[in-house]
Amino acid sequence: MSAALVFKNLTLGYDRLPAVQQLDTEIQEGSLTAIVGPNGAGKSTLLKGVTGALSPLEGQVHIDGFRDEEIAYLPQQSEIDRSFPICVVDLVAMGLWHEIGAFGRLRPAMPARLDAAIAAVGLTGFEKRSIGSLSGGQMQRALFARLLLQDAQLVLLDEPFAAIDTKTMADLIDVIKGWHSEGRTVLAVLHDNNTVGAHFPQTMMLARELVAHGPTAKVLTSENQFRARQMCEACAGTPHVCGKTAA
Amino acid sequence: MTSLRSVFASATALATLSFTIPTASWAEQPIPVVATFSILGDMVERIGGEHIALTTLVGPEGDAHVYQPTPKAARSVAEADLLFMNGLEFEGWLERLAEAASFDGAMVVATTGVSPIAFEEHEDDDHDEHDEHAGHDEHDEHDEHAGHDEHDEHAGHDHGTFDPHAWQSLDNAVIYANNIAAGLAQADPANASEYYTNRAAFVAEIVALKSDIDAMMAALPADKRTVVTPHDAFGYFAEAYDLTFEAPQGMSTESEVSAADVAALITQIRRESISAVFIESITDNRMMEQIANETGATIGGTLYSDALSGETGPASTYLDMMRHNATTLSEALGS
Amino acid sequence: MIWDLMLAPFADFGFMRRALLGCIAVSVGATPVGVFLMLRHMSLTGDAMAHAILPGAAIGYLVSGLSLGAMTIGGLVAGMIVALASGFVARVTSLREDASLAAFYLISLALGVLIVSTHGNNVDLMHVLFGTVLALDDTALILLCSFASLSVLVLALLFRPLVLECADPQFLRSVSKLSGVTHFTFLALVVMNLVGGFHALGTLMAVGIMILPGAAARFWAESIAGLIAVAALIAMFSSLIGLLLSFHYSLPSGPAIILVAGVGYGLSLIFGPVGGAIAQNLPRRKFET
Repeated sequence: MSAALVFKNLTLGYDRLPAVQQLDTEIQEGSLTAIVGPNGAGKSTLLKGVTGALSPLEGQVHIDGFRDEEIAYLPQQSEIDRSFPICVVDLVAMGLWHEIGAFGRLRPAMPARLDAAIAAVGLTGFEKRSIGSLSGGQMQRALFARLLLQDAQLVLLDEPFAAIDTKTMADLIDVIKGWHSEGRTVLAVLHDNNTVGAHFPQTMMLARELVAHGPTAKVLTSENQFRARQMCEACAGTPHVCGKTAA
Repeated sequence: MTSLRSVFASATALATLSFTIPTASWAEQPIPVVATFSILGDMVERIGGEHIALTTLVGPEGDAHVYQPTPKAARSVAEADLLFMNGLEFEGWLERLAEAASFDGAMVVATTGVSPIAFEEHEDDDHDEHDEHAGHDEHDEHDEHAGHDEHDEHAGHDHGTFDPHAWQSLDNAVIYANNIAAGLAQADPANASEYYTNRAAFVAEIVALKSDIDAMMAALPADKRTVVTPHDAFGYFAEAYDLTFEAPQGMSTESEVSAADVAALITQIRRESISAVFIESITDNRMMEQIANETGATIGGTLYSDALSGETGPASTYLDMMRHNATTLSEALGS
Repeated sequence: MIWDLMLAPFADFGFMRRALLGCIAVSVGATPVGVFLMLRHMSLTGDAMAHAILPGAAIGYLVSGLSLGAMTIGGLVAGMIVALASGFVARVTSLREDASLAAFYLISLALGVLIVSTHGNNVDLMHVLFGTVLALDDTALILLCSFASLSVLVLALLFRPLVLECADPQFLRSVSKLSGVTHFTFLALVVMNLVGGFHALGTLMAVGIMILPGAAARFWAESIAGLIAVAALIAMFSSLIGLLLSFHYSLPSGPAIILVAGVGYGLSLIFGPVGGAIAQNLPRRKFET
């Protein structure tokens, strides 16, 4: 497998304060990788660097072989206006933008695909519900259905399971596994190590700098977690280059 | 002999002389006066001549109903010895301006002594039904008011209870001239005789113009004596010449018209076969054009109501304005 | 009786027919734009825009005197500049749209007052610029109808990106480059409808017809298409009733129409099935599963 994403000496941050520092690693194509680390470790920032929303302060993000429309991103807090009068099927249908654009008509096969996506996330029957009437879990399912239709080769998820119920989480993990089995590259920021351990083959642990990256079992050790916490505390408040702590 | 004393004496004489020179030129300095709007300003200028330095607040083609004073205006008012205003609540903004500018000169109200016409409502839906309201047709003589008879309980939605456009009657113009001359004479007694001379000349021209206009208006046929204009500014002219003026808008350009008003006007124009309507220099004339379109009447010309025209226009002085209005009316209606 | 009350005024008087036609044109063109404004939480834009166009009208006046054409074009240009500038600032900086619009319209208004005060002629420009629905000449009617047609066309074309831009701008930015174009085109539509409306109908009516029916429609419809349809109907109905009231009771036309729309809003607030006061407080008799 070739490298889908290459991070070279990458430093990303806001207002010139680095949130991710000197990251040097690769994400393989088709991998299912969790990004973990303490709060403030720069995980969301890294995803924003991949989507291009943030420009590197130093170094680069090299995305190999994915066009812009082949990348899908689910932000941590969506800017969706819940009071806007659209229903679930309208929201999900947005995922077809890359095929029909601003003016194209819905082609004959599409309604069926819409139904399939909605079914895949367990929202059958909710098609005509307004998005304002959805619970947090239902909203997240709808957003996943939209992602399904986007048919992206690189899927970036930022805390997709924050504040949703376990049933929803289980269903959505199935969707993610489906993507993985189709050879898509998935990168997910997660905070629950149990979930990571159970379902994600690869893990990258960040504490501003890279702590570890590799098979989950090797990365999610208590030593690594301790180191990560130390690194974050040591770096707290000091915006300049932070040397690695003594192992 | 050149003694110190004589040197002193000559020096003192020279000094004293030098003090009188500025005083002498002081007497020549024109007194600063302010007139609120162009028509009044023209009259003040006629009578004041070169003895005054006149500032007019609302210039030619300006609308005094909606005037907003500027700091420049405040300065002029502050520095003025005399302030000439129309009165009859024409200048709603003046009191505050004078106060804000700490005006400490004398105010001359040009309409002092004028018999004002009371403001009347245009509230009728149907002119056919409400004969009592038809103030345009009746000319009852009342104690205080000459002419229009309406005593409305309702406060007008426009300024004040009286029609302020008193200058539209040439007889009133004479009163204006008298008040102006008296004001000037009181403020500047040294030149009083000149002011009165100028006044006399001005009044003579007014009287001459009046006889011309009297003739023009008398020549209008009896069935062509209704004039339609955008706003109710010609009450005094109407009264003086036994004409009827109709307008969709009330006495201030700030009011908004109702469909009933427009419909009533159109009905009246049709019923009386009024052939010409008039536009004004300071209003939005689309309404009048619409009415003309719908009734088949023509636009008879532009009338000057609240302001003079620019210098190149047909109404650059008060007398020119009155002559122009009368001529325009007589040509359009008389034909 | 019905004839006399409701139809005779229009049968007898051309200006009433034109007024109604003008109102229908505005109802069709401006209310959809107003619905979107409301959905984007930008309902006060209309009022701000009324002030923002002053320098444009002032410059038009300086250049061509009291020519309504010149002043309207000037107003359009000024309105566009303010709309675009505030939209641009909102996208490029951290300032939100309402604050940046407020900043720009105030600057524009101050500039306009400055120009008018130093060079103007004491004619109240705005007074002359803003018309009344009872004085719609052919030019104004053509203007209103053209703007309405253009507005409907552009809105239909831009519908999908516009909905996305309102509902999930982040997503739109991630899948399309049309985000900016959509945003600015929408603002341009707002300005066009407003300035055309001011010219023909005066500020109160132009802004009122754009916003009030949309606000009332919120209580009757849940989908965007439904909102637009209900809003347009409310606008047309208010125009009809308002004109008739102005005719029979001698009320000024613009305010009458807007007050009827206001009454419509009040009734919708109370009786509307979607979130209306009564609907909200009715005891629920059964649950929907």
